[in-house]
Amino acid sequence: MPSSFAVTVDELVLARARAGDEAALEQLFRRFETPVYTLARRLMRSAPDAEDVLQETFLEVVRSIRRFRGDGSLAGWIRRVAASKALMRLRARGGRTFEELVPEEIGDGAFPHASGVATAAERVDLAAALDRLSDAARTVIWLHDVEGYSHDEIAAMAGKTPSFSKSQLARAHARLRELLAPATVAEGSCT
Amino acid sequence: MHLSIDDLLAARDGHAQPEAAAHVASCRECAAEVARLAAVRDALAALPAERPARDVWPAIAARAAARTQRRRLLWAGWTAAGLAAAFTVVIGVRGAIEAFAEAELARQTQTLVSESQRLEKRLQKSEQRGRVMSGRTAGTVAHLEDRIAFIDARLSRAGSDRVPSSEVLGLWQERVRLLDALVNVEASGTTYAGL
Repeated sequence: MPSSFAVTVDELVLARARAGDEAALEQLFRRFETPVYTLARRLMRSAPDAEDVLQETFLEVVRSIRRFRGDGSLAGWIRRVAASKALMRLRARGGRTFEELVPEEIGDGAFPHASGVATAAERVDLAAALDRLSDAARTVIWLHDVEGYSHDEIAAMAGKTPSFSKSQLARAHARLRELLAPATVAEGSCT
Repeated sequence: MHLSIDDLLAARDGHAQPEAAAHVASCRECAAEVARLAAVRDALAALPAERPARDVWPAIAARAAARTQRRRLLWAGWTAAGLAAAFTVVIGVRGAIEAFAEAELARQTQTLVSESQRLEKRLQKSEQRGRVMSGRTAGTVAHLEDRIAFIDARLSRAGSDRVPSSEVLGLWQERVRLLDALVNVEASGTTYAGL
């Protein structure tokens, strides 16, 4: 499934934006407003926080666009700025919240299996279930599973280790499984 | 035993160790779990896009314009020169007739003003090079500039008294410290700790 950041920008618009043309900068904003806000909304718990991340992201884009050399993806750069802004806000605000110090019993053993893939009804509840994850688990599952960042990249952005990212991804999936289909979990062993 | 969640996720993402991959190939339940994890990933990606409740572009444009204006003044060297002008006059007239302590305060202030101007020239050169910086570094630069702007606002208010004071000296010390940090961040592209 293509990323919501799969946005193309006209070269002329980009050149004008780099030159500081406000109309071109606004065009860039309009192109990326939705994917940036969606990313921010998934990582932050509140709409006002997500709006702040949107503002901070584009303030930085406006400020630094002329330094964007164009040898990488503009969308990738804007997405990384947005993710970094959200992570900085989460870490600055949360203290222990982002650390997710509350133990969840996942362990290294076998993963209890659900009976099947998510149903349509479960998908309807997915957004609510996502919102019930810890900041760290929600951030990691979104950045890894949806935005496609590696554990190394997430670790670098979050100031954590790749192991932290991996463990949070596992916790996120375990918690989502409980939230989405608690009645269908069945322990078992391969024969 | 079934695979661990880490192994199942690795299998889903195509990074499974050979043993784990072989297990998934032979275990119907683990294969189903891998498929379920993939379905969750796809369902997350398919969640509807979100849009802000209000148009935030006007606020972004206003903040960006304010910052641009301040930077123009900074790069032109106006800020330190302008802020210093009031004190320079006072130093010339009062330095010879007031107590030694006040003259010393004025001299220290003047030294910091000069240092501030020197650092601004370095920043101007760095800016002209237009080096690309990471998002995190750019955020650090913006943060430092905001703090310098706050100091400048206080200096502007204090300048109306036209008398050197320990408060003004402290503000110039803080300004030089922040400018120095900004020069280092601009030069090295690294983030900073403390301050």
